Amino acid sequence: MSTSSQSAALKFEIVAKCSTTKARASILTLPHGPVSLPIFQPVATQASLKGLTPTQLAETGCNLCLNNTYHLGLKPGQETLEKVGGAHALQGWKGNILTDSGGFQMVSLLKLAKVTEEGVRFLSPHDGTPMLLTPEHSISLQNTIGSDIIMQLDDVIATTSPDAERMEEAMERSIRWLDRCIAAHKRPEKQNLFCIIQGGLDLEMRKVCCKEMAKRDTPGIAIGGLSGGEDKMSYCQVVSACTDLLPPNKPRYVMGVGYPEDLIVSIALGADMFDCVWPTRTARFGNAVTSTGTLNLRHASFANDTGPIDADCACTCCRPEEEGGLGITRAYIYHVASKETAGAHLLTMHNVHYLLSLMGKVRAAITEDRYPEFLRAYFRRAYGDMARVPTWALTALKEVGVDLLA
Amino acid sequence: MAALHNHSSLRQSSHPLLFVLQKSSTREDEPRFGRLSFQNRVPMDTPHYVAVSSRGVVPHLSQDMMRENTNIRAMYTALEDSSSTHSAIPIVTSLGFGMLEYTNYVEAIQKLRPDVVLGMGDVLFGHKPGVKRIDKMGDRTLVWVKELADGMKDEENGTPRPALFAPILPIEAEQQSYYLDALQGELVDSVDGLVLYDTASIDAIPKTLRHLPRLSLGEMNSPHKLLDAIALGIDIFTISFITETTDAGIALGFSFPAIKDTDLDTPLPLGVDMWSPTHATSLSPLRSDCLCYTCTNHHQAFLQHLLNAKEMLGWVLLQLHNHHIVDNFFAGVRQCIQNGSFEDERTSFEKTYTAELPEKTGQGPRVRGYQYKSEKSEQRKNPPAYRSLDDRKEKLAEAALPSPSADANDLEQQGFAEKAE
Ligand SMILES: [Zn+2]
Ligand SMILES: [Zn+2]
Repeated sequence: MSTSSQSAALKFEIVAKCSTTKARASILTLPHGPVSLPIFQPVATQASLKGLTPTQLAETGCNLCLNNTYHLGLKPGQETLEKVGGAHALQGWKGNILTDSGGFQMVSLLKLAKVTEEGVRFLSPHDGTPMLLTPEHSISLQNTIGSDIIMQLDDVIATTSPDAERMEEAMERSIRWLDRCIAAHKRPEKQNLFCIIQGGLDLEMRKVCCKEMAKRDTPGIAIGGLSGGEDKMSYCQVVSACTDLLPPNKPRYVMGVGYPEDLIVSIALGADMFDCVWPTRTARFGNAVTSTGTLNLRHASFANDTGPIDADCACTCCRPEEEGGLGITRAYIYHVASKETAGAHLLTMHNVHYLLSLMGKVRAAITEDRYPEFLRAYFRRAYGDMARVPTWALTALKEVGVDLLA
Repeated sequence: MAALHNHSSLRQSSHPLLFVLQKSSTREDEPRFGRLSFQNRVPMDTPHYVAVSSRGVVPHLSQDMMRENTNIRAMYTALEDSSSTHSAIPIVTSLGFGMLEYTNYVEAIQKLRPDVVLGMGDVLFGHKPGVKRIDKMGDRTLVWVKELADGMKDEENGTPRPALFAPILPIEAEQQSYYLDALQGELVDSVDGLVLYDTASIDAIPKTLRHLPRLSLGEMNSPHKLLDAIALGIDIFTISFITETTDAGIALGFSFPAIKDTDLDTPLPLGVDMWSPTHATSLSPLRSDCLCYTCTNHHQAFLQHLLNAKEMLGWVLLQLHNHHIVDNFFAGVRQCIQNGSFEDERTSFEKTYTAELPEKTGQGPRVRGYQYKSEKSEQRKNPPAYRSLDDRKEKLAEAALPSPSADANDLEQQGFAEKAE
């Protein structure tokens, strides 16, 4: 079975596979440089990440971040993006960019938005004129943005929706829209179009979608429609079912995942790429992601805690001054968190660095074929007693050969 | 009450500061070039400014940005509010508004260990004191400065006490003569500098105290005002207009000496409003000759986009640029004082630039600092993250709506969508 693939603007090579789970370590080479997978992608929705400069973002170890097509289409708009020369030139970012189409933002936020076969119909906010946003628009906009990975426009239904008929329609429409996106894509030699597997929590529907979309041979594949509040047991089943069906030599991106334990379990199920707003969004509320859990540094008990945010972290904030860092203490974050924006910037830096460094540890464990041990050590540290590990994680990992209770 | 933090390294010996005026004053009011040195710190040449901070941070700037991309040497942290009662003053702390008892203040100083402590004057801001009040001002201030000086003596051996800057009150010298006598007498070894609330108070400084560094807390809302005060002999400033212009979305754009342009018909603006849509596609830096982080790495189009999208980074980049402009302004001022061209250049500066900073047109950043209302009952540790993640909900919470004024033509022209039949 092939472990690599190449298209005009992307090279994907698997460098190691876990001999127990479905985890893989790979290198994804994009127009703006190589990215080691598995990877977490921070979300810079409107071409900036929570007050961080591109220099600060690069210092967290990030070389692939997200922008959102829906937002950039509204501000600064395609015309300006065209004149400025795309999103890299707009924000001064030398790394890779993936643009999410923002399909569900359209449906949720545009006035009276309705999905039809043509596209998303809505009313313009000011004068109420009927407007149409099509898969072709989305691709044209992403071609102007110039992102290294572009996403198809899909028809997303909440996984929790009980309407199986509508779910099937959305899945099938997403396949038809993929064809329209492929046809509309003007820069396949510079930008990689990823399809998005739909089908809700119905494994049969997911199967059909995987089969059909894999036929279209896009350079990469996303598993979409998840992370919309469904239970984690179902989430894991869908991810695992999809990775079983997808070609092994293509990168697999699960959209909207960012809790540390969700990441490491999804990786064991064979996923390679993730994005999520939670780690950066939660920083604004004073929450620090650490190896022992998420700490709310606004809690009074941290007022005199002179330790670093996370003793094991080597980010600019946590590194001591002697090592060129800032030596930021928990007490300091307590003092400024959610009161000065600079406090949020510090925590954002830490949280992104934490997740990227977690991905680095994951890659090392896969490469050295000790990912099961890594998983055991992680859950033991987070929960103390393995019996307290949530059932969904125990079940999902057991199915890929790691019995945490054994 | 306020404290100055100079961040470089630790002090060791017991003399808090040394101030050397490099040009001995012959006249009473003239610009002064000096050097302020603290033990084991990089000296600060004056005239200069100290960055106004809130909770120990210059608004919008994380410490790494400040360290790597600004020349900020010292920060001013105010621990006071406008009104004062007899023995307690309201202060703003990270915990919100609170009253700080005087003894606590001394304790706070010992804990925070700033380089300079500004002794508080019994001063009413914003209105003129009545006759009765004036009588008490000098007396009260003397009591407070004495207590402060005594409190700061109780330090462990080997670490010098913070430098103490005593206020000169914004009233006539005769009205505070008893207090001024004390500064020259019993307090002479405890006072290392002077704080002025009003530049005019320079006249009240006794001859024997003229060698001390003078820090102004007066309202300086333009570079012209700074030059006027420098001309009278103020050494150190706290300048609130830097953060104010940043919050207003304005990029400062003046230099000292001013650009020589003989064809200047109308005066040049002191700054540019980055909210103006005219910058939307400009790939030029904020200012063509600026070497700050922002101008080296980004262009006007990005700044315009960030402000428009209300992204925090917009204010970060403006803050870096605006501090850089003011840094260079003071460097130019010092050079001109040294080479004797200050007065000429000051005249030329007045002619070159408009008197006022540009009007604010756009919105400022979202709530910051003391404006922020804290939410109650936070948990120390969040419940383990095995609850299901609703990333879609989180993303929607972050999302922006199309502008309510966007009509079909706008949306079509910017390529967002097309009109449907
Ligand atoms: Zn850290
Ligand atoms: Zn600049």
